[in-house]
Amino acid sequence: MINLTVNELPVEVEPGSTVLEAVQKAGFKVPTLCYHPKLVPYGACRLCLVEVEGARTLQPSCTVPATEGMKVHTDTEKTKAARHFVLSMLFSERNHFCMYCQSTDGDCDLQQAAYNESMNHWPITPAYKPYYVDTSHPDFILDNNRCIICRRCVRTCAELVGNHTLGIEERGSANILVADGNVPLGESTCISCGNCVQVCPTGALFDRHSMYQGRDTDLTHTKSICMDCSVGCYRVVKTRDNRLVRIDGDMDATFADGLLCEKGRYTPLKESLVRVNQPLIRREGEFQPISWEDALNVVSTQLKAHDSAEIKAFISGRQSIENLSAFQSFFKENYNIGQTALFGHDESAAVSIELSREFGAFESNLSVLLDADAAIVLGADLIDDYQVAGFMLKRKLSDQFNLVMVTNRENKLADNFANRLVTVGNNFEQIVKLLACYKDGGVCDETDKIIENEGLKAHRAYRLLESVQTWQHPVIIIGKEFAKLENLETLRNLVSYSHEVGAKVIILKGDTNSFAASLLGLELNPEIESSPVAFYALGDGHACHHALDGMKNSGFKIVQTSYMNELAELADIILPCKIWAEEEGHYLTTDGRIELNRQAITAGELQRSVSEVLIDLSEKSGFSLQPDWQAIVTDRISSIVLA
Amino acid sequence: MAKPKVASDWLAGCAGCHMSFLDMDERIIELTKLVDLRATPITDLKEPDKEGVDVGILEGGIANSYNEEVAIRMRERCKILVALGDCAVFGGVPAMRNFCGADEALKRAYIETESTDESRKIPDDPELSVAQHVRPVGDVVKVDLYLPGCAPSADAIFYALAELAQGRMPEINDLTNDWH
Repeated sequence: MINLTVNELPVEVEPGSTVLEAVQKAGFKVPTLCYHPKLVPYGACRLCLVEVEGARTLQPSCTVPATEGMKVHTDTEKTKAARHFVLSMLFSERNHFCMYCQSTDGDCDLQQAAYNESMNHWPITPAYKPYYVDTSHPDFILDNNRCIICRRCVRTCAELVGNHTLGIEERGSANILVADGNVPLGESTCISCGNCVQVCPTGALFDRHSMYQGRDTDLTHTKSICMDCSVGCYRVVKTRDNRLVRIDGDMDATFADGLLCEKGRYTPLKESLVRVNQPLIRREGEFQPISWEDALNVVSTQLKAHDSAEIKAFISGRQSIENLSAFQSFFKENYNIGQTALFGHDESAAVSIELSREFGAFESNLSVLLDADAAIVLGADLIDDYQVAGFMLKRKLSDQFNLVMVTNRENKLADNFANRLVTVGNNFEQIVKLLACYKDGGVCDETDKIIENEGLKAHRAYRLLESVQTWQHPVIIIGKEFAKLENLETLRNLVSYSHEVGAKVIILKGDTNSFAASLLGLELNPEIESSPVAFYALGDGHACHHALDGMKNSGFKIVQTSYMNELAELADIILPCKIWAEEEGHYLTTDGRIELNRQAITAGELQRSVSEVLIDLSEKSGFSLQPDWQAIVTDRISSIVLA
Repeated sequence: MAKPKVASDWLAGCAGCHMSFLDMDERIIELTKLVDLRATPITDLKEPDKEGVDVGILEGGIANSYNEEVAIRMRERCKILVALGDCAVFGGVPAMRNFCGADEALKRAYIETESTDESRKIPDDPELSVAQHVRPVGDVVKVDLYLPGCAPSADAIFYALAELAQGRMPEINDLTNDWH
């Protein structure tokens, strides 16, 4: 441990700590602008200058390492004058007029820094030089006039997201923030994850959806979980007057550094489909309003009128464990209908559960991606799906990471790494065999043949294969293209291989709650065939085409949905449903965390959740619905995923 | 002891700071017990007393030769000069035109706007003041107290004037420093 004093107060910090960390540990505050706890310290803004006894000049506390016996002073005449000067220079450079800025009063770190120094005017007159404003992006605006060149956005884009879109061009006061060496943001390689917007300390990058809709302190913050996919990122849902205003990553969370992707941050704010506000029934080809009481009677009568074995019920993987459990309990245990299944083609969760019967808890937490030095990605797309898990790989430095990828659908993950072996197709088994040969520095006679068959570049393949024996923390990531029940035998061999080489295994499990659905006994990747009565609990999910095909020939079609869509158009009766933000519910992430999605807004009077409807329906049928998901889900996870 | 004399005037601003002054409501009566309110844009007397006042208050930025004249006159006639509001303190909204220049702004306002009438003429009467690069009051004359805000709250204005009336220099800090 290192001992030093801050403002005469002794403090002990871990070796490798910065002076800033020591200052904070001692309970003092030093203002910062370019510093962000999730980023590598950069020392750009000079606002955190402190006096260190014996040092020739003031030192930036964010980058200077704490050393034994150091005497640090944070609040001397010299540091105050320096902070005042730094702020005066910042305000003089560009357009920092607060009265016409979107980010003010609590939303702007620059303004707050000035308040902290009791600045009440600018000692240096601004230069009034106009800078480039980029409004080409659909989700946010870049106003270089508000930029202080702290590079938090550039560093977030590179260090955390690994996308390397943002950069700084020109020198000195001509510095501007650009995308891809100066193309409009809307036409750049930007993936619209918006993490740069969230870390911007001023109004240089700001969100279109929430702009001028109130300061952060005017909004109600609800800490919740993202439910677009099964990665389970933590987010803060910000609302005002029962309206969704903004969604931010929860940067207090350690998982994935509080990052979000476009689907978690912006997509929920851009829903353009029409909401279903009341129960509707098809009469003479037109949908007509009907009361809940009548609607439930119609549904109940239809369910009773047919042989239960012929009835089929499908639910969206976006529904909470509570809803999935009520659904399974209602249809399977009480009605014992022919089929209860999840929409979608992904059966990876079932594969995972199947493999665990043999191997026990063989999977790892997603955070192992952070330490990985090699990844074998089999049949998964970490660019379009599970994006934040992809960020944890993309951010790796090219020369310190090895990537093997076999996929049906080409994606850009490989572009980040020089040391790679990428093949498009289904040849999972052969590539794994090849890697196994090289793990102890061996060679494989068939290498040349495989290289030729797969159309690989020989020099690149050999370089990768020769590195296999040096891998310290390899991770095997398996996605839906490969995680199929028909591949179970190959997958067993793969898990055995992972045990031999000490590789961690992650199976990415379908939709948001596919894992929980599978544990509860719902069928995955179902054939959706016609039936005399079919119940589709789509919720706020989007209609999938294979469900539509099976539905067309069905008899009486009951659809519970939040939005009018292609599936709803085919319905005989439509029941309005709450959306994700309107009901509380649990979600089981791909790596076995049970997380709570909290209610952030209130649904309309006639919109009900899937379980609310099923409870009412079960009362009509004379049984009480008492699903107990905790026993089923909680008990099983620890036997599948390692914490 | 005679009550300290206070005068105010507005330059290139929106009058919002004076509205905010009125927003202190019945406290104005309290204030008039402490100070002698002299010339203001909202009282009959329009020019600060030639004999001088104790406190002069200016709202708005300096956008033309007339604003400059008024600011200099107020400075000459007061002991303590207060820059009231973001335009007086920083340049504020009128200073937006500094990014393009006064000529560009006049052209846009009098010739290019969709609502411009047929004459499409920038007023050029020789009696009109001459547009300048917009400056905060402090760039033209010495300011003794900066009270930023768009507009500063009635509370902040009342606090500042009450302190000045009682011979103290107000501290513009966490509670009263609000740039919006």
